[in-house]
Amino acid sequence: MKNVLHWNPPESLRGAEVTYTVQYFIYGQKKWLNKADCKNISRTYCDLSDETADYEHQYYAKVKAMWKTNCSKWIETGRFYPFLETRIGPPEVALTTDEKSISIVLTAPDKWKTNPEDCTISMQQIYSNLKYNVSVYNIKSKRTWSQCVTNHTLVLSWLEPNTLYCVQVESFVPGLPRPAQPSQKQCVRTLEDPTSALK
Amino acid sequence: QEFQFGPCRVEGVALPRLLEAFRTVKETMQIQDNITSVRLLQREVLQDVSDAESCYLVHDLLKFYLSTVFKNYSHKIAEFKMLPSFSTLANNFLFIVSKLQLSMSRLNDSAHRRFLLFKSTFKQLEMETALSKAFGEVDILLTWMGKFYRL
Repeated sequence: MKNVLHWNPPESLRGAEVTYTVQYFIYGQKKWLNKADCKNISRTYCDLSDETADYEHQYYAKVKAMWKTNCSKWIETGRFYPFLETRIGPPEVALTTDEKSISIVLTAPDKWKTNPEDCTISMQQIYSNLKYNVSVYNIKSKRTWSQCVTNHTLVLSWLEPNTLYCVQVESFVPGLPRPAQPSQKQCVRTLEDPTSALK
Repeated sequence: QEFQFGPCRVEGVALPRLLEAFRTVKETMQIQDNITSVRLLQREVLQDVSDAESCYLVHDLLKFYLSTVFKNYSHKIAEFKMLPSFSTLANNFLFIVSKLQLSMSRLNDSAHRRFLLFKSTFKQLEMETALSKAFGEVDILLTWMGKFYRL
């Protein structure tokens, strides 16, 4: 839910001292609203995360350019719907192993917040049917398999002892397709089978 | 994959396909809607809908879309070359409504009040404006339906 408006400088004014002003609009409400710290700015982006934090609303944004005494007309975005269009980050993944299994604990990603002091909202609270796609890769056999998980713990059983396995996880919401963002690949080795040492 | 609207279960509808169908026409449709100060599927219509209400509400809404929105807007559909998306949405809405009707016994007052709020907002607008606005809000409708979608 980090929602940043980006734009390109006017072709004809590349290098000139152009400033920009941004406004945003909540669909279904009455008027355009100013974004205080995106008034007469020279950068070409504006973070509207706070203004679009209510993810069930839909929004428009617009920007205009000013150069000396000249002012462009407003350029407006299409209707933006955070609940449907946001990219959901990967969960936090914690792995623990023993000889023949790997325990995976997943923590849902948090909603983006501009101010660290703000209270944390888990994406699980926003998408109650949030699920995870867990991919597992056996380095030795070069075999990959994946599993769809609803709750936050998963135990991979019947693994080979003393073998390196890599795990990657994506969050997804059934029915609402959006580009996936997998977690960092994490690799762990299953423990030695103590009985094999005795033979 | 299935929808579970409280007591009503509908199998065999792929929600991602409906969203994709709408996505391809979203810009064309929403540009037609220049009364952005009005939202038909407003918060009071769709927020905190109980499971018990959900079956009745989705039935009323989809039936309205079929009998009023899609029916009266079909002339524009051809003009905007949106027939494939339009028929995907219409055929799936028709299928869902037919499945819902089988398991609905009696009226649900609170669901009906929500629907009447949507309908009264629709009726306050000029017909063509209301039709394009309703069509442009199909993403809101599908996203709400997504809360009842199970893999």
